[in-house]
Amino acid sequence: MLRFLGFRLLRAAITIVMVVSFAFVVLRLSGDPAQIIMGADAPPEAIAAFRRAWGLEEPLWLQYFRYFGAIFSGDLGRSMRDGREAIGLVAERIPATLALTVPALLIKLGLGIPAGITAALHRNSFIDRAVMMLAVAGFTVPSFVLGLLLVLVFAVQLGWLPSGGQEGWRHAILPIVTMGAGGAAVLARFTRSAMLEVLGQPYIRTASAKGVPWRAVVWGHALPNAAIPTVTIIGFMVGSLIAGAVVVESVFSWPGVGRLLVVAVANRDLAVVQCILLLVAATMVTANLVVDLLYGALDPRLRQRTA
Amino acid sequence: MIDRRSLLAGTALAAGLPRFAIGQSDQRPSITVAVQKVSNSNTLEPLREQSNVGERVMLTSLWEGLLGRDYGSRLETVPVLATEVRRISDSVLELKLRQGVKFHNGDELTAEDVAFSFGNERMFGPGGPNSGSTIRINEVNPGRAGRELPVEVPAVANRSFPGFERIEIVDKYTLRWVNRTPDVTLEGRLARYGAEIGSRRGFAEAATWLDWARKPVTTGPYKVAEFRADNSLTLVAHDEYWGGRPPLKQLRFVEVPEVSSRVNGLLSGEYHFACDIPPDQIAGIERNRAFEVLGGTIPNHRLTVFDRNHATLRDPRVRRAFTHAIDRQAIVDSLWAGRTAIPRGLQWDFYGDMVIANWAVPKYDLAEARRLLREAGYKGEPIPYRLTNNYYTNQVATAQVLVEMWRAAGLNVQIEMKENWSQILEATPTRAVRDWSNSGLFSDPTSSLTNQHGPNGQQQQVGEWTNEEFNRLSVELETSTDRARRKAVFRRMLEIAEREDPAYTVLHQNATFTAKRRDIRWRAAPAFAMDFRAANWGV
Repeated sequence: MLRFLGFRLLRAAITIVMVVSFAFVVLRLSGDPAQIIMGADAPPEAIAAFRRAWGLEEPLWLQYFRYFGAIFSGDLGRSMRDGREAIGLVAERIPATLALTVPALLIKLGLGIPAGITAALHRNSFIDRAVMMLAVAGFTVPSFVLGLLLVLVFAVQLGWLPSGGQEGWRHAILPIVTMGAGGAAVLARFTRSAMLEVLGQPYIRTASAKGVPWRAVVWGHALPNAAIPTVTIIGFMVGSLIAGAVVVESVFSWPGVGRLLVVAVANRDLAVVQCILLLVAATMVTANLVVDLLYGALDPRLRQRTA
Repeated sequence: MIDRRSLLAGTALAAGLPRFAIGQSDQRPSITVAVQKVSNSNTLEPLREQSNVGERVMLTSLWEGLLGRDYGSRLETVPVLATEVRRISDSVLELKLRQGVKFHNGDELTAEDVAFSFGNERMFGPGGPNSGSTIRINEVNPGRAGRELPVEVPAVANRSFPGFERIEIVDKYTLRWVNRTPDVTLEGRLARYGAEIGSRRGFAEAATWLDWARKPVTTGPYKVAEFRADNSLTLVAHDEYWGGRPPLKQLRFVEVPEVSSRVNGLLSGEYHFACDIPPDQIAGIERNRAFEVLGGTIPNHRLTVFDRNHATLRDPRVRRAFTHAIDRQAIVDSLWAGRTAIPRGLQWDFYGDMVIANWAVPKYDLAEARRLLREAGYKGEPIPYRLTNNYYTNQVATAQVLVEMWRAAGLNVQIEMKENWSQILEATPTRAVRDWSNSGLFSDPTSSLTNQHGPNGQQQQVGEWTNEEFNRLSVELETSTDRARRKAVFRRMLEIAEREDPAYTVLHQNATFTAKRRDIRWRAAPAFAMDFRAANWGV
């Protein structure tokens, strides 16, 4: 088990270093932060002063090693836009993002899994077709389209809810529904497929033939075995809790990590981008680690194989 | 140039404002304005926030200068915190301050505050004006923990006030601006963005520069209640405002990056104003009779800029062909619904007596363009056109139209999409044509033609273009005090940069549009600034 954990952690660390290095190279080679942050009309001497001040005139490799040296000493750098610590800027935004992504995740789980199970248990029935039609619609309509559609109906036409901003709980409803609907659709489709595959297995037929009540067959045999692909998807969803609302935050003017990321990338505000990427990578890697451990818990055969 | 008449008019206007305000009810409205961006730098300090978006939220509402611009008219220079400006010599101005002006912290404005505002502490840094030194943030000045200025602030200040030497305090309400060199543009520079006055005590009491820059203590009609970076700015009425009680109890700017979200928020009643409306959305919004779209031209011209080092553009005849192949009126009519104008080259009416009245952009003349290309021996070599995705309103559509117009003249221009300004300006052999815009920062051609295209301007600094005669004249325009000679110099500079050896060509004047509820009586200024003072509310 320790070897398993150690291997996963080492892989996670390598992934994070690769993500951060890739982002550093891409962002620095695709634009000069001084020119971008100072704007198209900034005086040349202001741009030059900015470059000198932030060490942007140094060779790229030196900037890279300087940056990594700082990370290992716990300094994630400062925003070139206003000089504040990047970690502080990002930390400020996390609660706002979680206020959307956590309820949205609950909606995804609460709607998607039961819908998928119901569709699978009523295969080829009206219920199955209705659920899948909604799921395909939710899966294929981009979140910015769904978001704008909801705004048009519930904010502009009916006037029931605000169209954007972050003033109170009412402002969170439409973005949460937008995110939740798409994710629930994905989960419903995966859960249905997994359930159908499991329901066709010989051990399900055997259990039914032995007279085990159908409800017990579903709960005791079908669901645990169908959970693995669903858990994988849920792992991705948990991993994207921090920065998974980029589009929705932009559509609904919600000041979370996603919008900060968009602004920081556009401005080549390297420290802020890297800080967010570090957090995202760490969350994703942790979620994957937990998923890997859950695989073992759900299926003893996998546990034995890993051991 | 400010004159006696405008000084008197401004003073009379100011005197009238308090009486108007007294009659107002205490039940003042609070409004919300949806903007694309509140501040690019996440600060409210004009010396750091050098942008149009900053001008929108800060000018007239928050910050004021000694002189300013008439936003209700054609942006002429008018008195604001100074009531009298007198030339002592070519390099010295004497200014009388308006008495009884209160800062947001209750202090009265005095000459000490003006000296502070143009002093090293706020503007030029420890080295003083034009010291040329830079502090390295990562090493010497970690985190701007104290009140050290960001490096770009002194750079911007030195560019804005190139000959500034010192402020001399004569008495509590009188001061002298002393320049090292003669400068006929001083009055204009005092009215420009960046010359605003802040409270000396307010700055001293701020724990850090960033604290100051996010909640500056100024004299404007509204004061900062809350600034949430990348989110919103809430201003509340400064009831001791010298120009009369502000008409709004609260003025809130919220950041809504998406156009559709701004429009939806306006239509659903959440926002009273929605800014940065693209021209193609105007008709859709106005179909609802409850709303209207105001606005129009602003002191900013859209340009096509040339790199004369590009192999094909070295011959000025090719660049001249570009300038003649553009049907500017077609662009204005089709992409701007006719709601902007074609200016007389890189100049504005508020240049006053410096305006070259009989100047115009190159005539749309395809035959002439073809003739020039024939003479230049142009054989259809591809010419790259670096383009960002709608950094400017209608930018991509305009570019596509331009490429077709140039193709009609025989020019083979190929669009290369770029993501940012750094990629646009990258000095490689493929840099040839790009977009830009130039602003008229104050009432003199040095504010644009010299500032942007002169020897220290961006175009020459990035190595796109230079011209010996133009550079010589540029220095003369900045230093000469002979107005007739300056005007002749300006004309000759326009001839060089727009006709003989084109550095750029002006396409049209830029415009900005603001959608609002029709029942709100308010006028849009011919600028980015939104005026919410008493004189412009309920009009």
